[in-house]
Amino acid sequence: MKKIGLNRIYGIILRHTFQSMHSITRMMDTIFWPVIDLLLWGLTSKYIESSTVSIPNILLMVVSGIIFWMLVYRNQNMITVSMLEDFWNRSFMHYFVAPVKFWEYILGTLLFALSKLGLTFVLSIFIAFILYQTNLFVLGFSLIPFILNLLLTGWWVGFLVMGIILRYGSKVEILAWSFVAILSPFSAVYYPIEILPMWAQNIATLIPTSYIFEGMREVINEGILDWNKIIISFMLNTGYLILTLIYLKYCYKKVLNKGLVKVF
Amino acid sequence: MAILEVKNLTKKFKDFTAVDNISFKLEEGEILGLLGPNGAGKTTTIQMLLAVLTPSSGEVTYFGKSIFEHRVEILERVNFSSTYINFPWEMTVRENLTYISYLYKIKNRKKRIKKIKNIFSLDKLMNKKIRELSDGQKTKINLAKSFINFPKVLLLDEPTASLDPDIANKIRKVLKNQRKEFNVSMIFTSHNMAEIEEVCDRVIFIDKGKIIAKDTPLNLAKSIKSAHVEFMGEEIDKIQQYCERNEINYEQEDNYIKVEVKEVMIPQLLKQLAVNNINYDEISIEKPSLEDYFLEVAKQDEENRT
Repeated sequence: MKKIGLNRIYGIILRHTFQSMHSITRMMDTIFWPVIDLLLWGLTSKYIESSTVSIPNILLMVVSGIIFWMLVYRNQNMITVSMLEDFWNRSFMHYFVAPVKFWEYILGTLLFALSKLGLTFVLSIFIAFILYQTNLFVLGFSLIPFILNLLLTGWWVGFLVMGIILRYGSKVEILAWSFVAILSPFSAVYYPIEILPMWAQNIATLIPTSYIFEGMREVINEGILDWNKIIISFMLNTGYLILTLIYLKYCYKKVLNKGLVKVF
Repeated sequence: MAILEVKNLTKKFKDFTAVDNISFKLEEGEILGLLGPNGAGKTTTIQMLLAVLTPSSGEVTYFGKSIFEHRVEILERVNFSSTYINFPWEMTVRENLTYISYLYKIKNRKKRIKKIKNIFSLDKLMNKKIRELSDGQKTKINLAKSFINFPKVLLLDEPTASLDPDIANKIRKVLKNQRKEFNVSMIFTSHNMAEIEEVCDRVIFIDKGKIIAKDTPLNLAKSIKSAHVEFMGEEIDKIQQYCERNEINYEQEDNYIKVEVKEVMIPQLLKQLAVNNINYDEISIEKPSLEDYFLEVAKQDEENRT
C-alpha cells in the first residue's frame, strides 16, 4: 500500500484553517446552524408536547409553514446568489461599464428571482398536494396578502445581504444562505409566538413574518383573517425595505470609492 | 474639441495616492497609449474614465459632458475591454454577446452580433461555452464585445494579452481599420512596447500616479540618447579592450559584444575601430526604442527606491 503523506494532509487542513481565519462568517457557520436548528425544532417539539389536546390541522400548518418560509428564504437567496454568480465569474463589471443604472440592475435581478420563485412555489404546492394531500388553497383569498408580505420580507433581507456582500466581498458570501435563518425562530414558522420566551416575543413583534405565520395559523384553525396583523406586517416590511434600499445604495457608493474592479 | 478630456484627476486611497493630478486629452480618431510600470496607476485611471471608481478630485468629460453627471448617455458611446473582466463561464459566446447587446441601445442586435462575429472571425467559437475557451480566445471575445455598441471611444486595457502573435497582429489590424472606418478614438495599454509603437499616435507615460512624459512613441524613444551596437567575430577581445580603455559600457559573451554608446557617437566608434584595425564579421545597430525608454524609467525608479 502506498504511504499516506501526513504532511500533505496537514497542508490541506492548514489551507482550510487559514481560509477560515480570514472569514468570520465561515467560522460562525460551525455554530450557527446547530443553534438555529435546535431552536427551531426544539421550540416546535415543545409546542407539540405542551398541547394537552391534539393539534388540529398540524400537517397543513407545518406544510404551509415550510412553503411560506421557502418563499422568504428562496427569494432573498436567489437575489443574492445572482449577484454572487457575477462575483464568482468576475463578470460583475460588465453591467457598470455599460450604461446600466444601479436600480435597473437591482430590478432586473429581482424580476428574475421572482419568476424563478413563482415556479418553485407552484411546484411546491403541487408536491405538497401529491405527497401529503394538503391543499394550500384552503387559505383562499388570504394567500394574496400573505404572499405579498413574504415577498417583501425576502426582498429587504435580500437587499440587506446584497449590500453587505457588495461592501465586504465574497468572503461574507455565506450570509446569502444563513442570514435569513436568524429570523426563523422569531418568525414562529411552525409554533405560536407564545411558545417563545418573553424577550424573544418582544423581538418577534419587530419581525414582519411573525404576523404572517400567526395569521396563517388563525386562518387554518379559525377561518379568520386578521387584517391588523397583515397591516402591521406590511408597514414593517415597507419600512425595512426603504431602509435596506438606502443601505444598498450606500454600499454601492462605498464600493465605487474603492473601484468595482476590486469587487469579487 | 477633444473627445475625452481629463483634468487634474486624482485618486487617493487613504494615505496612498494612486493617481496624482493627471490631465490629458484624447482627440477624435486618435489612439493614445497609456504606459507605465506595474502599479503606476493605469488601471486606476481607466476605472475612473469609466466611472466605476470615484475620483478624489478632478474631471473626466466625454463629448464635452462630465461622465459623473451624464454616465448613461456617455457609456452608450464608450466601451471597454480588459483581461480582468470575465464572462459567465457556463454561458456560450453567443449568449454573452446577446445579453451584453441588450445593455446598450442597439437597433438590430442580431445583425450587429453577426457583424462582430465576422470582424473577429468568431464562427467556430459562437456556440462554445466560455469555460471551454483558451485565455487568448477569451481575450478575443472580450475585445469583440467592446465593439458591440458602435463605440466612439474605446478603452482597451491590454487588449492583446495572451494572444498568439499572428492573432495579436490581426487584432491590431482590426483596431486600425475600425479607427480608419469609424474614426473611433482609443486609449490603449499594453506591456508590448513594439505594439504601442505600431498602434499608438501618442503615448502618455505614467509612473507613481503622475504623468512623466507625453509625446509620440518616436520622440519618447529619441529622448533616450544611448544606442546599442552589437558586434560578432573573432576579434571581440580587441573591441572589449578598446571599450575599457575609453570607459565605454559593454556586455560580452563568447564571440559577441554589445556596446552602449550615444547614438551620435556611433560613426566615431566605427571609425576608431577601423583606425585601430579591429575587425568584426557582423554588426547590428539597435536604435533606442520605446522599450529602452520604459526600461530607463524602471531603472531610475529602482535606483530611487534603493
